[in-house]
Amino acid sequence: MNAISPNPTQKYDLSFARWVRDNIDGGERMNMCMQCGVCSGSCPLSDQMDLGPRKIFQMVRAGMKEAVLKSNSFYQCVSCYNCVVRCPRQVPVKYILHGLGRLAVQEGYQPKSNVENARFADAFWWSVTTFGKTDERLVTAKYYFSGGLMNGIKLGLGNLKTALGMIKTKRMHLGAPHKAKNRGELKAILAKAVEIQARHEGEA
Amino acid sequence: MGKKFTFYPGCSSQGSGQHLDTSTRAVMAKLGYELEDIADWNCCGASVGELAAGHLPTAALSARNLAQAKEQGDQDVMTACAACYLNTHAVNEEIRDNEQTKNDLNEALGAAGKSYDGSLHVRHACEVLVNDVGMDAIKGAVSNSLSGLKVAGYVGCQTVRPFAGTERGGSYDEYDQPHFLDDFINATGAEAIDFENRTSCCGGSVSVMKPDQTLHLMHKILSEAQAKGADMIATPCPLCQTNVEMYQDKINKKYGTSFNIPVVFHTQLLAVAFGLDATKDAALNQNIIPADKLKAKAK
Amino acid sequence: MADEKKIGVYLCSGCGIGDAINVSATETAATKQKASFCKSHSALCSEEGVNLIKGDIASGETNSVVIGACSGRVMTDKFQFDGTNVVRSNLREQVVWSHPAGDEDTQMMADDNVRMGVTQARLGNLPTALAEGEFSDTLLIVGGGYVGMTAALEAAKSGHQAILVERSDSLGGMIKDWTRVNPDDAPYREPQDNPVPGLIETVKNNAKITIMTNTTVAKTDGMPGRFVVELAKGGTSSVETVGAIIVATGWRPYDANKLGHLGYGVSPDVVTNVELEAMFAAGPVKRKSNGSAPKQVAFVQCAGSRDPAHLPYCSSVCCSQSIKNALRLIEADPDVMCTIIFDELRTPGTAEEFYRSAQEKGVVFVKGKVATVDGNLTVTYHDDLLGDDIPMAGLDMVVLATGMVPNSTNTEGAAIELNPEQAVYSHDDINPAAPIQVAGYKDGVVAPAVQVRTQNEVPDGAPILNLQYRQGPHIPILADGFSDSHYICFPYETRRTGIYTCGPVRRPMDMGEAGLDAAGAVLKGIQAIHNVRHGRSLHPRVGDLSYPKFGLSQCTKCRRCTVECPFGAIDEQADGYPTLNASRCRRCGTCMGACPVRTISFDNYSVDMINQMAASCEIPDEFSGKARILILACENDAYPALDMSGINRHTYSAFVRIIPVRCLGSVSLLNVSEALSKGYDGVVLMGCKSGDDYQCHFVKGSALAKERMGKVSETLKSMMLEPERVQSMEIAISDSARVGKIIDDFAANIVKIGLNPFKGF
Ligand code: SF4
Ligand code: SF4
Ligand code: SF4
Repeated sequence: MNAISPNPTQKYDLSFARWVRDNIDGGERMNMCMQCGVCSGSCPLSDQMDLGPRKIFQMVRAGMKEAVLKSNSFYQCVSCYNCVVRCPRQVPVKYILHGLGRLAVQEGYQPKSNVENARFADAFWWSVTTFGKTDERLVTAKYYFSGGLMNGIKLGLGNLKTALGMIKTKRMHLGAPHKAKNRGELKAILAKAVEIQARHEGEA
Repeated sequence: MGKKFTFYPGCSSQGSGQHLDTSTRAVMAKLGYELEDIADWNCCGASVGELAAGHLPTAALSARNLAQAKEQGDQDVMTACAACYLNTHAVNEEIRDNEQTKNDLNEALGAAGKSYDGSLHVRHACEVLVNDVGMDAIKGAVSNSLSGLKVAGYVGCQTVRPFAGTERGGSYDEYDQPHFLDDFINATGAEAIDFENRTSCCGGSVSVMKPDQTLHLMHKILSEAQAKGADMIATPCPLCQTNVEMYQDKINKKYGTSFNIPVVFHTQLLAVAFGLDATKDAALNQNIIPADKLKAKAK
Repeated sequence: MADEKKIGVYLCSGCGIGDAINVSATETAATKQKASFCKSHSALCSEEGVNLIKGDIASGETNSVVIGACSGRVMTDKFQFDGTNVVRSNLREQVVWSHPAGDEDTQMMADDNVRMGVTQARLGNLPTALAEGEFSDTLLIVGGGYVGMTAALEAAKSGHQAILVERSDSLGGMIKDWTRVNPDDAPYREPQDNPVPGLIETVKNNAKITIMTNTTVAKTDGMPGRFVVELAKGGTSSVETVGAIIVATGWRPYDANKLGHLGYGVSPDVVTNVELEAMFAAGPVKRKSNGSAPKQVAFVQCAGSRDPAHLPYCSSVCCSQSIKNALRLIEADPDVMCTIIFDELRTPGTAEEFYRSAQEKGVVFVKGKVATVDGNLTVTYHDDLLGDDIPMAGLDMVVLATGMVPNSTNTEGAAIELNPEQAVYSHDDINPAAPIQVAGYKDGVVAPAVQVRTQNEVPDGAPILNLQYRQGPHIPILADGFSDSHYICFPYETRRTGIYTCGPVRRPMDMGEAGLDAAGAVLKGIQAIHNVRHGRSLHPRVGDLSYPKFGLSQCTKCRRCTVECPFGAIDEQADGYPTLNASRCRRCGTCMGACPVRTISFDNYSVDMINQMAASCEIPDEFSGKARILILACENDAYPALDMSGINRHTYSAFVRIIPVRCLGSVSLLNVSEALSKGYDGVVLMGCKSGDDYQCHFVKGSALAKERMGKVSETLKSMMLEPERVQSMEIAISDSARVGKIIDDFAANIVKIGLNPFKGF
């Protein structure tokens, strides 16, 4: 467990709201939320979220850290930005949700194996850091198998027809992955960025 | 005219969105614009990078692309992919507005001897078509009217949200019922239907992970297009195009429907209307559900 | 009036009057009513028309003018002739604009209106002013806090002497030592320095202001223009004569000892907002329990306020105050975590900026109702937005935002024994136990449950001014201890003429508002000083010179006038007869309506005049099928509403005859019974709303009328008439669109009941 936010085990954490404000991307505007519910009402996935964005923000204020970070909501978000453009208080809802989602995984409130998005994101990031580009076929395959071998085969077969269509129209590429040329340079930049980020989290 | 852009093709240009890439290049060339690719571009991080690595490393991806673009000149950076635009534009904005991020990213870029000051403009190809080219010039370039075609203009999310209405995003349209895509369609001589779901989310960014939880979103979009008699759907977003096209089978199975609606890019429509080649320029061969009615119009 | 009365009637045929009625027929009606002459003109308000009247007055042809034209509410400057009594008969708004042209009934209405005008002219005279004796220009200001000091300065700036009385040993009041206050200057985002210390110096250096600390008002007698005030300091006292009095006694915090459920007294770290101010003043804030700096602080809003069991009202400043104090804690130590738990955050106007500023700086706002605070400082609140009870633990300080209680009495002084009659007036003459209805909800919308009053009948403590009035020593209060003024329409007014309240004693308010309030009240005081010396009435009949005259020969010493006067203007002499303190009087006529022997009247207004006017209308016989309904309409709201109805060309029954009255309080029961016995088929009293949210311009007039009319059914019974024939109606100035329908419904009902059998008797 990477206990980067204070008191990760406390059920009600009064400083959680403040911590979110200071550490989550966009969190400084969360305080401006006036609980109108436009975000939840605009979200195409809110029916599949256990907590809508509005409620999440109120729970953050109430210090309900654990209940918030155990929510499945962050991983339902499809980044449609409806909430972002519609919020009358200019709260960057989507960004805050993504930040909280990452925090939940990092702090172990969400076992990675349960979070499809986190596994997909890992597969994606693997591709990016390895090749500098996303290879859709490899990312998908890696993601499918990240949930276990059987699961992977099942998912792969389920999508076989789609995959064949992509291959036929030459939109899925079968040879070696496309790569950025200077991958060493990219790796160095990313490593540095990871280091700076860790440094800031340590400061908080 | 004859303006030059530094072009950021993005990962989908080499995969599922090749036909967007091909048709965009053809259309821009026809309109007299020169596109020069970022020499050694990398992925923008799409919408899941943050979840895996956090904000700064994800931003560093775009920072590297921008640093390269700056090395290639001061001309505006253009991209046709909604996600690439969103990330690259957002990082560019952050570098301009947030001193801390600017320093952090430059520190990261410094590890490879690079730097970037935020002085470029990052623009979406649709915004360029609206603001730089203009609807008159587009109409003027149409030599092969697509009259008789009924098209549902499906904008999707990230093409317009969250930047289309902002000043630095070009203020070219609004978020809920933008009209630029209908304008493109009508310019080709085709008829844009009144498509209420034009900015409803298709679920594209999570469809690989949770297809079953996003099918209803696409079902809604396809149903309206079909009910309103659209011959095809046109979209500017590579993720939407692939998603809405690819999952029709699954949707049919789940909902007992029989959708088989072609989904094309607006640039494919424009290419055909400009009298360009159906395969070489419009890349109509790359649509899984063939847009036969459009192909039949091609010269 | 020495000269013989020569009534000249002038009819105007302009504005459509000539097209709708036969003016020469109306002329005949006027002459038959024994007017000296009647002339008509196509536009009386033109220079030519006005000169016609002026010429007749100058040549002595007339000395009493009746103008049958537009409503008496318009063209008042044109139809004003110095030294000549002018009566206006409304032919335009209430006849031709609201009834069909050329109609027989419209003509009858016009004729009757002119007949009534002639009668009014015959019985009324130009009033002469009563203004004897000496008058003072000095203002007495009671209360040396921010509001009182501001008032004193405003008075001084206007050239008046001010006596500033403060009961404690120094100026400054409640907030003297507070270090920072809510922002009053743009951009309204930061707490501001307290202006009070600077203000104290300014006031001290002002030569026009006499400061008297350690002083209270022992007695107040007299009336506006010459209040005689006894000021007590220690054992000694002095007497001053002042023209007007400003009461700025401010507020005190609600007693937190009554808030045990919110942890007060249970833990030393539960403090009130006022205590927190003192902690700020003493240096960095420390927990009372162990002297350490607090890190987790919760502010509990509405601690006692808006709670039927404590203070039923919103104290209005506590939200901003908590915001201010949270910001100050964060300013001193950015690690302090401040949570404000509110039910409804009330930050009106620019305070919204302050609120946003706090949100941006990291103050956390949660919406919920706090149920309890326990000894461990666990705040349990119901979060409305989550729909759950949340125990907020781990706090090290809880601040209760207690509310404002008005200093309507001096709680440091001893209460005064009141006689039972005075007790009615000391607090309010509304039953203190009566529930408070929440007004303003549309049909079909469920209003919040009524609140039960919890105030005791007689206020604790000594009266602020100790008025030597027949109606008792206190300034009457309406509800919840705040002084009775119509705080929206007529702020600062009290029910004691020439005495004005301002600041939180009037209603809860912040410093910005209170400063403006002080200036407003001083202006009212100055108006009083300048009007009463000429015998002119104050609000709302500003400038009126008439005043009630008592025919003591008939007076039965029933004392109804001294009891019912809403302003305590009438005292009793030792022999039991009423005596008027003229400048306290607002000329509403409530005493006139109250007097059972009709012995109170004005030069230009009396019970008899109303009776005669009504009687001068021609009442068709019962076989004509034409009903006659007398409407006595309050001139403040109902009469203008009827005018506006005409302006908007709404129509209503032509069976009505409308007489404007000063206030429904001036209507005597005798006016009603007399009209019925003269053959009117129905009588309607139209006046303002009464009750807690009254709109009566004389505060109690419409309520008293209602009470009197409650007794009318007995009269009707004795006359063997149906009770539906008499009705009182509340008509607001905004009712112009519906007043016509109300009249029509009443008229239809009268026709249904049948005409009055007394006709022709
Ligand atoms: S739309 Fe914005 S203000 Fe409204 S509830 Fe959502 S975050 Fe809060
Ligand atoms: S961006 Fe995410 S949270 Fe916001 S409305 Fe779209 S799906 Fe919902
Ligand atoms: S009742 Fe009205 S008119 Fe009579 S004394 Fe009082 S204020 Fe004057």
